[in-house]
Amino acid sequence: MPILECRELSKRFGKTAALDNVSLKLEPGRVIGLLGPNGSGKTTLIKLCNGLLTPSEGEILIDGEAPGPKTKAIVSYLSDKEYLPDWMSTRQLMDFFEDFYQDFDRQRAEEMLLRLGLDEKQKVKTMSKGTREKVQLILVMSRRAKLYLLDEPIGGVDPATRDYILDTIIRNYNPEAAVLISTHLIADVEQVLDEVIFIQNGQILLQSDVDSIREEKGMSVDQYFREVFKC
Amino acid sequence: MEWNFRNDLPIYSQLVEQIKRGIVSGAFAPGERLSSVREMATEAGVNPNTMQRALQELERQGLVYSQRTAGRFVTEDTQTIEDSKRALAREQTEAFRKAMETLGYDRAEIVALLQEEA
Amino acid sequence: MLSKLLKQEFRATGRIMLPVLAALLLLSVLGNFSIRMMDQNVTNNAVLRFLFVFLIIVFVLGMFAAVLMTLLLMITRFYRNLLKDEGYLMHTLPVSVHGLVWSKLIVSLVWFVVTGLVVTAILFLTGLIQSGTNLGELMMEFPSWAEIREAMAEAGFRGSDITVFLLELLALVGFFATCLHFYAAMAMGHMFNKDKILLSIVFFVVISFALSMMTSLLAFRIDSLELYVAEFDSAQVLGFMNRLLRFSLIVELIQGALLYFATTLSLRRGLNLA
Repeated sequence: MPILECRELSKRFGKTAALDNVSLKLEPGRVIGLLGPNGSGKTTLIKLCNGLLTPSEGEILIDGEAPGPKTKAIVSYLSDKEYLPDWMSTRQLMDFFEDFYQDFDRQRAEEMLLRLGLDEKQKVKTMSKGTREKVQLILVMSRRAKLYLLDEPIGGVDPATRDYILDTIIRNYNPEAAVLISTHLIADVEQVLDEVIFIQNGQILLQSDVDSIREEKGMSVDQYFREVFKC
Repeated sequence: MEWNFRNDLPIYSQLVEQIKRGIVSGAFAPGERLSSVREMATEAGVNPNTMQRALQELERQGLVYSQRTAGRFVTEDTQTIEDSKRALAREQTEAFRKAMETLGYDRAEIVALLQEEA
Repeated sequence: MLSKLLKQEFRATGRIMLPVLAALLLLSVLGNFSIRMMDQNVTNNAVLRFLFVFLIIVFVLGMFAAVLMTLLLMITRFYRNLLKDEGYLMHTLPVSVHGLVWSKLIVSLVWFVVTGLVVTAILFLTGLIQSGTNLGELMMEFPSWAEIREAMAEAGFRGSDITVFLLELLALVGFFATCLHFYAAMAMGHMFNKDKILLSIVFFVVISFALSMMTSLLAFRIDSLELYVAEFDSAQVLGFMNRLLRFSLIVELIQGALLYFATTLSLRRGLNLA
């Protein structure tokens, strides 16, 4: 059974359609890139999947259920916003995650923090942007979720942080879980992906294996993407 | 081990190629236990499924074998490794010869050139 | 899950309200000291006298400010935690919208009541201290609840228990309805892509208007003739009071329920975090 399924999904804001009749399926054990230019509907799709938006038409099934408290328990979401309350320390945030998410693996989070030499007592308020992003990622990736939705995790971070993020995604690979990564920086993530979805103007242009594209087109997904989205 | 990927080939086949080179060059010794798929994937910075697929291909080719509990090992059969090395060498030689031929050298001239170099 | 949300909400608000209450207690000590000093004309030093007057003013304003703070916090917590960036965290927790709203309502109520009690206690103690009354003596003289009820009954106000109960219930429902008025306006304003705050204010005004219309329409239902009974006894007054309270309670309950529905529906179906 797919972990995520969208059926003829549309989302309109006023007259503009942010998402237009999207149907797709994601299988567990896969790392999938959601690739498209800015404003193509990537964030809208992810927000719909975790219940931050309600579809105008169509439906979304996560592990067979419409988004709600039940699906939120198995979806781990990294927003492109800085959404952690700034008065909390990393330790308090871990308490918080432990309280609300049964699948939160505190030991794993503590190991990752230690590896980066981050202080658990530091408050979000006093963290640099990079540290905040790392703490968010650690919290999100320390859950043993069935579906990870990572919205632009590598947008605007320095190369070292980007490598750390990709490394963390590979390291935490779980054959029962799917990871969806939205980005417009394809060259950086290409190697860690099984599969890519191209999205443009709210429509899915293609869903394919990375190696199939390379094999058939004789070029990287990044090069192919540039060709498809040529202006 | 240094991992480099070209854009025009599937990542999977490049992994097969690079691990094979590692084996024939001795970077992975015969009978050596390989790290887990996840570790190798992390090290190479690639998707674990792709790494898994590459290792399965190497298994099929007899360069690697897996034991249910202990993990994956480089073959102890030096003959297989030698054959692989031979095959790789042949590919390289062939490619070299073709490149030289496009420059207008014939077989004898190529051999002479090589001897001069040495 | 509600208990976990409450725990988190108390943590988030406690770090503001506990210092506020502590400051209030400190102010009350300083204020009382200043009142005593001024009262007894201890000094003629202009600077010191100014300081004392200043402290008394701050003390009085501080009590208002503390109560106001609980209301302000009620609004800002809902806004910042559920409608701004923190909403990305809160709305992806495996909890229902009802849990989110109720945790905010309950915690707001608790701080409002606690602050109210603290202010009342401070005023009471200030009165005692400044009048030089001994607390022990006062307690002795203070009538017990049973005595009050007896006195009420003698005066003809039989059944005043229910009146007190209705008053308390009305205060509770009224408080929730007031919170939900703000919540509904903000939740509705934030369904739109632009001008979210402006629209929230517009919705607040529109809702106020709708609610008062509704109250006036419903008020026709109550038999107001009773007001003009020329000769009424205490029992009649009490009966009328109870009817009025029950009516108000029903109105507040209906309005509260509607506002609750508007709030949760807007959050569930119309959430549109920037």
